[in-house]
Amino acid sequence: MSTIHQTGALAPPVARPRASHPMFALVGRRLALGILTLLMVSIVIFAATTVLPGNAAYAVLGQHATPERVQALEAQLHLDRSVVVQYWDWISGVLRGNLGESFSNGDAVSLLVGPRIMNSLVLVLLAGLIGTLVGVGLGMLAAARRDGWLDNTLNVIALAVTALPEFVVAIGLVMLFASLALHILPGTSFIPPGVSPWSDPSLLVLPVATLVIVIIPYIFRMMRGAMIEALESDYVEMARLKGVSRRRILLVHALPNSIAPTIQVIGLNLLYLAGGIVVVEYVFAYPGMGAGLVDAVSARDIPTIQFITLVLAAFYVFMNILTDVVALLASPRRRLPRS
Amino acid sequence: MSDHDTKTMLYDLQGRPLTRRQALKGAAVAGAAVSLGPLLAACGGSTSESASPSASAVATPKKGGTIRAGITGGSNSNTLDVTAEITNSDAARTVMCYEALIEILPDGTMGMLLAEEMTPNADATEWTIRLKPDITWQDGKPLTADDVMFSYNYISKNQKNGAGFLSVVDLPAMKKLDDLTLLVPMKEPNSVFLQVQPTWFLPIVPVGYNPDKPNGTGPFKITQFSPQQTVFERYENYWNQPLPYVDKVILTEYADITAQVNALLGGQEDTISLITASEISTLQSQGKKIVISPGGGFNPFTMNVTAKPFDDVRVRQAMRLVIDRPQMLDLVFQGNGTIGNDVFSRWDPAYDTSIPQREQDIEQAKSLLKQAGQEGLVVELVTADIAMGVVNSAQVYAQQAKAAGITVNVRKTTVTDFFGPEYLKYPFAFDYWGFQYYLPQVQSELLPTSPYWETHWDDPRTNSLIKEALATSDEAKRTEIAHEMQTIDHEEGGLIIPFFPPVIDASVPELNGLVESKIGAAWNNFDFKNYWLS
Repeated sequence: MSTIHQTGALAPPVARPRASHPMFALVGRRLALGILTLLMVSIVIFAATTVLPGNAAYAVLGQHATPERVQALEAQLHLDRSVVVQYWDWISGVLRGNLGESFSNGDAVSLLVGPRIMNSLVLVLLAGLIGTLVGVGLGMLAAARRDGWLDNTLNVIALAVTALPEFVVAIGLVMLFASLALHILPGTSFIPPGVSPWSDPSLLVLPVATLVIVIIPYIFRMMRGAMIEALESDYVEMARLKGVSRRRILLVHALPNSIAPTIQVIGLNLLYLAGGIVVVEYVFAYPGMGAGLVDAVSARDIPTIQFITLVLAAFYVFMNILTDVVALLASPRRRLPRS
Repeated sequence: MSDHDTKTMLYDLQGRPLTRRQALKGAAVAGAAVSLGPLLAACGGSTSESASPSASAVATPKKGGTIRAGITGGSNSNTLDVTAEITNSDAARTVMCYEALIEILPDGTMGMLLAEEMTPNADATEWTIRLKPDITWQDGKPLTADDVMFSYNYISKNQKNGAGFLSVVDLPAMKKLDDLTLLVPMKEPNSVFLQVQPTWFLPIVPVGYNPDKPNGTGPFKITQFSPQQTVFERYENYWNQPLPYVDKVILTEYADITAQVNALLGGQEDTISLITASEISTLQSQGKKIVISPGGGFNPFTMNVTAKPFDDVRVRQAMRLVIDRPQMLDLVFQGNGTIGNDVFSRWDPAYDTSIPQREQDIEQAKSLLKQAGQEGLVVELVTADIAMGVVNSAQVYAQQAKAAGITVNVRKTTVTDFFGPEYLKYPFAFDYWGFQYYLPQVQSELLPTSPYWETHWDDPRTNSLIKEALATSDEAKRTEIAHEMQTIDHEEGGLIIPFFPPVIDASVPELNGLVESKIGAAWNNFDFKNYWLS
């Protein structure tokens, strides 16, 4: 009897959370790799910018860049130091929390770019949200009424829209609603510095509409395809035979199983939005991050370029981790360790 | 006086070359949109404006209101330092908040601005400047001769844009004669010191000038500034009452002409400028006003006369003779603008209009090339989007030059790269200029001492003639010398000036005061003080 107490052989078994440990480990590992990625990106971008002909001093002085003025400005911006020293100056500043000052006008990069990032974030999140909801909804609808008139119409429209470049959609919307046919929406969406993008929501309508139109076809087609595959599976046939209602089949049985590949597409589209909205920003004169990056590269404004690309890279890393985690969560099968 | 002579242009979109930048920015689609535009406009049922002068030409200006203006060509390095003006909006701040001693009027002649009188002595070795009385800075202090002396010293010492023009001035010997008068001695005779004062290089700033605290004598105060937008408000005690008429001007930067035009069409802006001729019909069909100025600035092709093969004058002449100038103007600017004759400063009274207009002569070009042993010549032309129409001109030139057997390889770079270390050293490239009078322009680019020595022109005749002209106080005699110099430019020089580009302003019908201008800058050089809203 004492032996039983000593060994504790009859103690209740310890519950081991087998499912979530690997998840945390996965996320932890991916985050660590992500930070490494950001470091690599910062080095590569820095190197690429210094290889470009000309530098910020020439960009600022423009046509009036005499050798003396260029030299003076270069010294002021520390462009006369070696590339390695310049990079070290920058990275040590960042690690201390100082993102540097723009070469173009001396303002703090965070003040210059912060509002632009917020503006772009608003567009990306709004477009992503609306696009996802509408795309998923339409995909489900088309799959449920497969080969019907609705499905065929949506397919054709989706294909047509995919073929249109962004600026065609953008300019088309402007012509329709703002400048030529109707005059119910603003033709450009310039947001003055210091003003929040929400201050006049009508300014956001056309840019967001453009982006939504551009990403819906992909989400729609992926959702429709995945849903059709799910609807043809054995377990759905079983559910039908059991007399389960159509709605329950769609929402409870088919949807969760078709969401995983769709999430990848949604993630990809959000990444695309983050990087590719520069055209929309130009057409609508919207002060966002994309336009800010193009201007910064043109001006060889290294601190600004670094900041924006790092924000973009961080967003990419984060979205990749997020979509993978969500996809895993949506497919319990993949979470089990392989036997 | 305000002759809003809008021409209804019929233009041909075919043959208009598209650049990569335009394709990226959607101008290709804008072209399609323009052709689609009238269709949609018909759906919208908007009124169309016929080409008739506005009745507001005789109405009295009303005070008050805000003008929202949209401009392109800016960047993050837009600055408040008016002595270091580079972009369009820099120029706006320089002439709206500050002022120079002299201004250029819309017809290209000089007008007195801050100066009441500016006269040389008999041999042009001394200039006496007398300022107008009762002019105050925006902080309330009076304008005095001290401020002018300070401005010249500041610009010269800090090597600002106008420093080149001040190199002839014996700055330490400047003397204040009284509060409003100063004596400016020259190191050498210089009879054209008056002509270099206007536009953007020599604004008058107050003693102790701090660029971050705008404080000028001009009609508008700058109350808000960021690289994207500047807010100007009326300076109540501006010396030239009753100007300005409006309370406020908000100048916004656009990266793209498409967005600029949409802003005007959609109602976010009241006026835009420096648009291309292809937007005219869409804007007019939506009831907007268009003012097309003949322009006084120019974008020359620059040939470096010390680089082969341009060191041979026969090659240079051949390069000039291949151009069909009217056709180039048609293709690049839909026929707006003024044909050029390879001589600059078109609107200077000293411009020699009797020099026969050069026309395309392929046979002569071929024969010149043969004599020079350069048949089948291959050259590289460097271009960038430094000004409206520059890239298109390059492409049209390459096409036209083929007829004479010349192969032109157009190399397009970004604006930053163009003005990089190779600027002013290219064998064959471009540049852009606003309007300057002839002799100052010679000083700016045709002498070995010139700050913008594009062509590396170093000719003993030019060098001695400019000295002679600067020492000549008699205007008629000086004009004769200028004519002689222009003949040399025309027959041997390194610049190709096929045309003077137009400046096109567009606005809502309620905006009055826009005029055609020879200055070659937007809105008659940002002349918002003379604009009013009805």
